Amino acid sequence: MVVVRIFAGMNSRKLEGRKLRVAVVGGGPAGGSAAETLAKGGIETFLFERKLDNAKPCGGAIPLCMVGEFDLPQDIIDRKVTKMKMISPSNVAVDVGRTLNENEYIGMVRREVLDSYMRDRAASFGAQVINGLYLRMEAPKDEDSPYVLHYTRYDGKSKVGTPSKLEVDAIVGADGANSRVAKDIDAGDYDYAIAFQERIKIPDEKMAYYENLAEMYVGADVSPDFYGWVFPKCDHVAVGTGTVIDKPAIKKYQTATRNRAKDKIEGGKIIRVEAHPIPEHPRPRRVKDRVALVGDAAGYVTKCSGEGIYFAAKSGRMCAEAIVEGSAFGQRMINEADLRTYLRKWDNKYWPTYKVLDILQKLFYRSNPAREAFVEMCADEYVQKMTFDSYLYKTVVPGNPLDDLKLAVNTIGSLVRAYALRNESLKATA
Amino acid sequence: MATLFQSAASPLLHRSSSSCCSWLSASGGGHLKLKGEDAVRRHGRLVVKAEDERNGSAAGEVVAKPRKASPLQRGGTLSGEEAEGKDPSPAALLANKKPLMSLGGGMFEDARWKNGTWDIQQFTNSGRVDWDAVIDAEIARRKWLEENPEASSNSDPVVFDTSTVPWWAWVKRFHLPEAEILNGRAAMIGYFAAYLIDSATGVGLVDQTNSFFGKLLLFIAVTGVLLIRKNEDANNLKTLASEWTFYDKQWQATWKNEEQHPVSEKEIKL
Repeated sequence: MVVVRIFAGMNSRKLEGRKLRVAVVGGGPAGGSAAETLAKGGIETFLFERKLDNAKPCGGAIPLCMVGEFDLPQDIIDRKVTKMKMISPSNVAVDVGRTLNENEYIGMVRREVLDSYMRDRAASFGAQVINGLYLRMEAPKDEDSPYVLHYTRYDGKSKVGTPSKLEVDAIVGADGANSRVAKDIDAGDYDYAIAFQERIKIPDEKMAYYENLAEMYVGADVSPDFYGWVFPKCDHVAVGTGTVIDKPAIKKYQTATRNRAKDKIEGGKIIRVEAHPIPEHPRPRRVKDRVALVGDAAGYVTKCSGEGIYFAAKSGRMCAEAIVEGSAFGQRMINEADLRTYLRKWDNKYWPTYKVLDILQKLFYRSNPAREAFVEMCADEYVQKMTFDSYLYKTVVPGNPLDDLKLAVNTIGSLVRAYALRNESLKATA
Repeated sequence: MATLFQSAASPLLHRSSSSCCSWLSASGGGHLKLKGEDAVRRHGRLVVKAEDERNGSAAGEVVAKPRKASPLQRGGTLSGEEAEGKDPSPAALLANKKPLMSLGGGMFEDARWKNGTWDIQQFTNSGRVDWDAVIDAEIARRKWLEENPEASSNSDPVVFDTSTVPWWAWVKRFHLPEAEILNGRAAMIGYFAAYLIDSATGVGLVDQTNSFFGKLLLFIAVTGVLLIRKNEDANNLKTLASEWTFYDKQWQATWKNEEQHPVSEKEIKL
């Protein structure tokens, strides 16, 4: 619940006879949750989405806490993954998930189902959903003038849209990794990974193996700095991989991933091929005047796991809450300081999570010995418990210090052994 | 007719504007992805008028601007050497040299590899396990699999864990030889340093060890050798240090903007 302390400064003008108008550009999880929170807060909200039935390429995994925090109904979850298999470069396979209780799971969703549910819910609270493509914005002349948002409106009947414009007081850029809003505010570039995925329909008896199990393949053949995956979807599996530093070779990595999973997906038919960029870190500038970026547009994807849906929805909500609070439920004009409140809250709350995942990626995706050590560590029950607790509930849980020490010692031991084996093999060939 | 320049992206990547490029309303509005667009944008507004369309396309045809790199070619803000370490596995940059894929090559086979793990019995002779041979076998297996990746199989899973080899076997095989070398180097340098100091200052070895300055130098020397064992280590440490803080800098970039252009402060309540 938003607790409002009205700290709106003396210098922000009270809006006469109208509510604050905010445009949310992009109707994915970030846009949908931002629009819902804004509409609930009494702000006149416009949610722009260019393709209302867009089936986005995406891993589609949501943590357990998202279901609770965003009141998601159970029927939008296609599958509840309760087991994971981590497979090292030398095919050492480790089963992860023994520590989960029967209420804990990773939800697999179809993006078109989730996105439209969140948009419809935002509309039910009063947001106006506009089927349109954002083109550009005109900056305001002063701090009380509105932004003029130019867009192409589609009326659903013809393919050609009508150019239109809309005056709004603030804009939330939730339009994804290739964000136009970000370009318009000179937000800067980020490093990004290319994720490449093939949807494969496999025979039923092979599909039974993936009933509630997802696989993660690590290895230099599969990706130089990420992992390959097999995620079960509603009635097929998604086999994919990603990379940041070797994008032109992504097809080679995809072939290698398919080969590693060959036994388990044999006889399958590729029904769809898709690719999308994944931001690696936030853009240099996430807020400018009365425009803020959320979700993938801001670059809120974790390292190591590449998780983005939950953070997109959460950042949309936090940004909207900051706007609601700063405008005293839509009565006052906001300025950049209100949007920076959202940034400060976000950075304070989630920086530890992002940093820990960054350290894990740098440590364990570095080279094949590191990946071998990583898979070895995953066999440990304490590691599994800590990993799942922090993933499912998004809190860094402080464990028992003695166990932490044991874990540190074991990690170092695994890494040392793996690197020793590798160095010895290099010596043999040198 | 306006020329539409599409980026060379594979058709799999959907850019939000590319799907609208094929629609142009009759009255000359709509958005055109022109190459000259960036130049026009520098003035802050994209003026979509009929004249500009013609200018833009004329400019595009006359001036051969370099094609914008496709998303598959763009590496973000860093590439090549600079990307090394920013995201892991610099080995990948060298990986192109190694043949990583071997389709239909032989599977890994070894008489001592049974049921997804090394059969320790086969390494035992006269009651003692030859752990060195186990380590050698595992090295060979990993090397083979790195160059000839195999499909992971459920019917024949790999369950070998390196911790089955006891810690003292690791120490004896890997740590002791290197420790011997480092201690040898330290002893040689120490002997000559002590000799030179003695001849220069007349302070004997016992007095050198007793002095605080001597102890301090010894401490620095020992830690230095632990951290920098080879010449490359000095560079590695520097890279590690910058790598450690790189992600932090990327996150804090947005706050640097604020320092340069401070906004009028409302009371910010968290």
